[in-house]
Amino acid sequence: MEGLHVAVVERERAALDVAAALDFVSDPHFGGIATFIGRVRDHNVGRRVTGISYDLFVPLALNQFRAIGERALAEVGAPLKLWIVHAKGQLAIGDPAVVVAAGTPHRDEAFRACRLAIEAVKHEAPIWKQEHYVDGDSAWSEGCSLCEEDRAHTHAAHGHAH
Amino acid sequence: MSTRINLFGALREADPRGYVELELPTGSTVAGLSAALVAHLAVHAPAVSASLVRHCVFATDTEILHDHREVPAGVTLAVLPPVSGG
Repeated sequence: MEGLHVAVVERERAALDVAAALDFVSDPHFGGIATFIGRVRDHNVGRRVTGISYDLFVPLALNQFRAIGERALAEVGAPLKLWIVHAKGQLAIGDPAVVVAAGTPHRDEAFRACRLAIEAVKHEAPIWKQEHYVDGDSAWSEGCSLCEEDRAHTHAAHGHAH
Repeated sequence: MSTRINLFGALREADPRGYVELELPTGSTVAGLSAALVAHLAVHAPAVSASLVRHCVFATDTEILHDHREVPAGVTLAVLPPVSGG
């Protein structure tokens, strides 16, 4: 797919660049850009969070980001430019963890492409979040299983709270 | 055959090297690999929950290999716990 940018950025090398995402998905033919920025927040399930470490299986993640781009293009049925970038490593409160931006001729297509892409990144890409707490403890998030059986089982009941 | 499996997320704690190596009969399926990993970790990393491993999938650099697939020879695999990106 042309007009697709996917990447994994090591936090110690750089922060995610939202301006670059908006620039990439801009086009004279496009009147709509939808953006999702996921940032590290300071609490989860009643615990004070001091930061998050992200672990990624990079080659497969990039492969899946590209597949998600193809799926978004087929789904919206309109010209599309899409940016999917996720951070890796140790992030502080407020750091952007993921940036998805979609540029299309009209707003409906932009919103739909952006939503499809971020939901797929969260539920399908090989990415793991370890939360660090104010008391010095840390824990890996429970997450979504990629097993076929688990996915069939949870699809109906999945609350999408995460 | 010997198969190397790279560890991610919560499973990284199963081995400080970041991978395990398992001996499997040629022609083993991914389901067999999963059972072998559960057995290996029960001995070498008893703190890791067998339930966690049962909710994992195996993958190459390019695709997820579901249970019925044959384990490819000479390829480093990855074991992927439930995911939590974004």
